[in-house]
Amino acid sequence: MKKISHIQTALETKDIILKFPKITPITYTVRKINTSPCKDGCPIDTDVKAYLGLIATGKFEKALEIVKKDNPIPGICGRICVHPCETECTRDEIDQPLAICALKRFLADYELRHGSTPDLAGVKSTKKGKIAIIGSGPTGLTAANDLIRLGYKVTVFEELPVAGGMLYTGIPEYRLPRNIIKTEVNAIKELGVAIKTRTKIKSLSKLRKQGYDAIFIAVGAHKGLKLRVPGEDEFKGFLDCITFLRAVSLGKKVKIGKKVIVIGGGNAAIDSARTAFRLGSSVHIVYRRSRKEMPANAWEIEEAEREGIKIHYLASPLKILGENGKVVGMECIQNKLGKPDSSGRRRPVPIKGSEFNIETETIIPAISQEPDLSWLPAGHKLKISKWNSFEVDEDTLATNVKGIFAGGDCVTGPKTVIEAIAAGHKAAKSIDRYLQRKPLKEETKVNERVEFEVVIEPKEKKERVYMPHLSIKNRKNFKEVELGFKEKMAIEEAKRCLKCGFCAECSECMPDCEKSLVSLSIPEEPSGILLRVPLDQREFPLNGNPLQGKFSLAGGKKVTVIVEPITAQVRSELCRGCGDCEEICEYSAPKLQDQGNGVFISKIDEIGCKGCGICASVCPSGAITLNHFTNKYIETLIKHSTRL
Amino acid sequence: MTQFQDIIKRTKAYLCLDCGKCTSVCPISILNENYTPRLLVNKVLRGDIDLLNDELLWSCISCGLCYERCESDVKFHEFIRDLRIEAYKIGKTGVYAHHGTMQSIMRMMTRPDLKQNRLDWLTKDLKVKIPKSEIRNPKSDSLTLYFVGCLPYFDSFFSNLQLNILQIAKSTIKILNHLGIEPVIMPNERCCGHDLLWTGDIENFKKLAQHNIAEINKTGAEKVLVSCPECYVTLKEYYPEYVAPLNAEIIHISELIAENLPELKNNGGTGFQPVKTHSQDGCANSSLKVTYQDPCRLGRFSNIYEQPRQIIDAMGFKLKEMDKNRKSAICCGTSGWMNCSTYSKQIQLARLKEAKNTGADLLITSCPKCQIHFKCAMSDKNIDKKTKIEIQDLTTLVANQLK
Ligand SMILES: Cc1cc2nc3c(=O)[nH]c(=O)nc-3n(C[C@H](O)[C@H](O)[C@H](O)COP(=O)(O)OP(=O)(O)OC[C@H]3O[C@@H](n4cnc5c(N)ncnc54)[C@H](O)[C@@H]3O)c2cc1C
Ligand code: SF4
Ligand code: SF4
Ligand code: SF4
Ligand code: SF4
Ligand code: SF4
Repeated sequence: MKKISHIQTALETKDIILKFPKITPITYTVRKINTSPCKDGCPIDTDVKAYLGLIATGKFEKALEIVKKDNPIPGICGRICVHPCETECTRDEIDQPLAICALKRFLADYELRHGSTPDLAGVKSTKKGKIAIIGSGPTGLTAANDLIRLGYKVTVFEELPVAGGMLYTGIPEYRLPRNIIKTEVNAIKELGVAIKTRTKIKSLSKLRKQGYDAIFIAVGAHKGLKLRVPGEDEFKGFLDCITFLRAVSLGKKVKIGKKVIVIGGGNAAIDSARTAFRLGSSVHIVYRRSRKEMPANAWEIEEAEREGIKIHYLASPLKILGENGKVVGMECIQNKLGKPDSSGRRRPVPIKGSEFNIETETIIPAISQEPDLSWLPAGHKLKISKWNSFEVDEDTLATNVKGIFAGGDCVTGPKTVIEAIAAGHKAAKSIDRYLQRKPLKEETKVNERVEFEVVIEPKEKKERVYMPHLSIKNRKNFKEVELGFKEKMAIEEAKRCLKCGFCAECSECMPDCEKSLVSLSIPEEPSGILLRVPLDQREFPLNGNPLQGKFSLAGGKKVTVIVEPITAQVRSELCRGCGDCEEICEYSAPKLQDQGNGVFISKIDEIGCKGCGICASVCPSGAITLNHFTNKYIETLIKHSTRL
Repeated sequence: MTQFQDIIKRTKAYLCLDCGKCTSVCPISILNENYTPRLLVNKVLRGDIDLLNDELLWSCISCGLCYERCESDVKFHEFIRDLRIEAYKIGKTGVYAHHGTMQSIMRMMTRPDLKQNRLDWLTKDLKVKIPKSEIRNPKSDSLTLYFVGCLPYFDSFFSNLQLNILQIAKSTIKILNHLGIEPVIMPNERCCGHDLLWTGDIENFKKLAQHNIAEINKTGAEKVLVSCPECYVTLKEYYPEYVAPLNAEIIHISELIAENLPELKNNGGTGFQPVKTHSQDGCANSSLKVTYQDPCRLGRFSNIYEQPRQIIDAMGFKLKEMDKNRKSAICCGTSGWMNCSTYSKQIQLARLKEAKNTGADLLITSCPKCQIHFKCAMSDKNIDKKTKIEIQDLTTLVANQLK
């Protein structure tokens, strides 16, 4: 018989129902030490820990809100982001990193299933200024999203019939279903962004004349590089990977042979190979270095191999073989790895006498891309680098021409979506400053951070929750391969997070703290940082001095850290020895102690107590108090929640 | 201090001889050496106003033993009550049991527009009159009103103790019906306010009193019957003292039963069944031994000692008195849903042991709160078997034994 149930839930009497919803108290233990590696690893500083924590507690909407704060396309990123955060994740040292990316996707899918209300906060054209964005890839879309929220009028011009850039015309559908792109692009449109597709920009001065006050160039890198191998221009049967993938994505009829070779080791190569496999061809990939050097995502390579694609590592094309003007095969040579080159990767060195041939009808080079600048009119004044990309100021993305900015792949060469988003954010900030006539370079104040060493307590191993996949035999189509997490899986996975640096900065606790003791900022004048910690953690950051300590800030300043332990305390003269606290405490902290005369009094083990306060909520005589979860507070709760 | 002058006068504290008899008899003082009634009087007489901040002010369980013992007639328990009223005015309170839920419920009941659903428990076999909202024909017939009190609230709040405390109300009506009385029950009754008064909240006590007085007077009842000793003393003593008297006679159910014992026993085929065992096995045991707990509000406060005993006797039980009975009975350990402490628990355990030591199988009481508090004390998992005893309410017992 659980004696105390009626107090925890609601008080019901014959006549009155007292709603008592919050009797299970909230966490008010804030430990905050630096930022976490995942956030640090993310180019847009996503509050990873915060959203993982919120997923773990089932607060999916709030978690998505956190994601969207920095990322306008979570459903897209959640599928195809290269997730540098996971590379940094501390948990990797124990078992595997958190499935941070897949959890983001889970949130976007959750919203899709449950419907969403567009977040229109701040969207009103309040500021003067019209902005033209060229290119609707992730760079352009992000900048558009930010600028319209800042109050500007924004138009995006896109040459192709669809918006999304490489998301739509590069990354294949089985990795990124088109309805996901459409949904997220539409959400941006709904904010008021005009996206003009089938509109190729050919002149910047014309845009200026149309009244655009600022122009952002985000045209990506779409021009495939040549192989520079004999026979390349002689025989028919060549198809550049970008052209190939774009044609497939746009639903055009593409003719490829039964046997296909893809050359290269990046994502574009793997995507081309897996796409050709889906069109019914048998596919070989030829890559110069070993698997370790392959820039494509490891999990993509794995899937490609599972789909039966043969990868020739350490092999380079020597010569194209042709008959009757058509490609029939390719001669390759085996390499070994020599000294590292300028990129730091070991240079492939051909092994004499190791030549071999592969039969093929179609060759898809996917070695690298550069921006296609053929649209720029002759006599433009923009500075172009030797890699055919735009030269910009690294911090502001401003080109050498006033009012014109450029970012994304067309500046960096082929990179990643998350870096494209970062560029979009950066451009939006600069363009805002430009239009507000503020100096473009912000006086950046680098946030001072308290330097603590992050110590991982030894944790038990717990395998990562693996993403369910479409079975191999069902893959001769463009159905999405990764199937996504179910709610339970997402929660289970999110619970693996170690919460490096403790406080997740999700700010969930702030409205709950009755005494407004929680502050997320480190005070300017370092009067002190309050760490409210359970007692067993007291000595952790404070080497030696359990209650107070001085710490150096990055700039050499000292800051006082005050630690307040939170534990439940029993006023023994009020304790009835009923044992309710003992029964309810999850951490077995309270223990009844016989006073010798048959009288029992509860004693709470300070080390075991986590300060959750639930015992205070069940104690019939009000004998238990917590630092600031007092009986008064509980009383107030009752009063506030009384509805008659 | 003038602030205390009235209190000193009204409670005759000025007569205190500093003899310490109160302290020697106080059940709290025996356990908590910091608490002494003598010193508290002494402090007030010396004009120590800091006393209002003293937590000890809330430790008294208002059992009235000290007053009973005091040669100089100092009403110490009322003295402390009045000091609490002063302390409450400056924002002091005791430590409420159950997170103040009871106090909240009581204060909620002061709302004029409160909608209660307090007659849910009535069953068809119980005959009552429920007044409509309009004023009834005053004094059209000799009406008896049954003032139910907080039984419905206790019943569900303490459902974990498996008390079936509402049986007291049902039994009361059954007995009244048996005597040919169809009582009036008010759907809009409120808590009598006893505990608010004793915890210092005089303002809200007065609101409850005013409401109940108006409602009762509206019904035109000549007699108000109560089954709870606290309601009894409140309606009878405190309403006239602080607000206004009722136009009705206040009667406790044990008075009524005792008065009608001959009728209940002999008349018209009605009467008590021969006493059987109360236990489930149903085997007859005419000499079941019982003992009786005098509730302080019924005994020391209202001088009703003998009627319950007569009733127990009439039903054929063998009454084994505890050592401390009648005027010197020890109370159930806590009062006013406040400062229910380790001392309360010890008082309860000691009293239960005393009951058990009489050799009785059943402890009879006539106060719902005695029952709640004792049963609460027995519900702990660490409880000594030797302290466990069955508890029954007197009214319930009578109704069960009726033919
Ligand atoms: C096959 C492939 C797979 C990839 N896989 C991944 C992956 O898994 N994860 C990842 O993070 N990254 C991946 N990438 C990289 C990623 O897609 C790009 O880094 C990113 O899309 C760059 O964004 P962007 O906005 O700078 O350019 P784009 O996305 O290339 O967008 C530029 C847009 O500008 C338009 N445009 C160009 N010129 C004009 C003009 N004159 N007028 C109007 N519009 C014009 C183009 O049509 C295009 O729509 C992949 C790339 C490819 C090619
Ligand atoms: S364990 Fe959690 S907080 Fe730490 S790096 Fe991984 S995801 Fe981030
Ligand atoms: S502290 Fe409260 S809940 Fe715990 S044993 Fe004592 S009275 Fe019971
Ligand atoms: S004793 Fe247990 S229930 Fe009470 S606050 Fe501490 S951890 Fe929570
Ligand atoms: S009323 Fe009872 S508890 Fe209060 S002082 Fe007197 S004897 Fe002690
Ligand atoms: S003895 Fe009475 S007041 Fe004290 S905890 Fe038990 S039920 Fe509550």
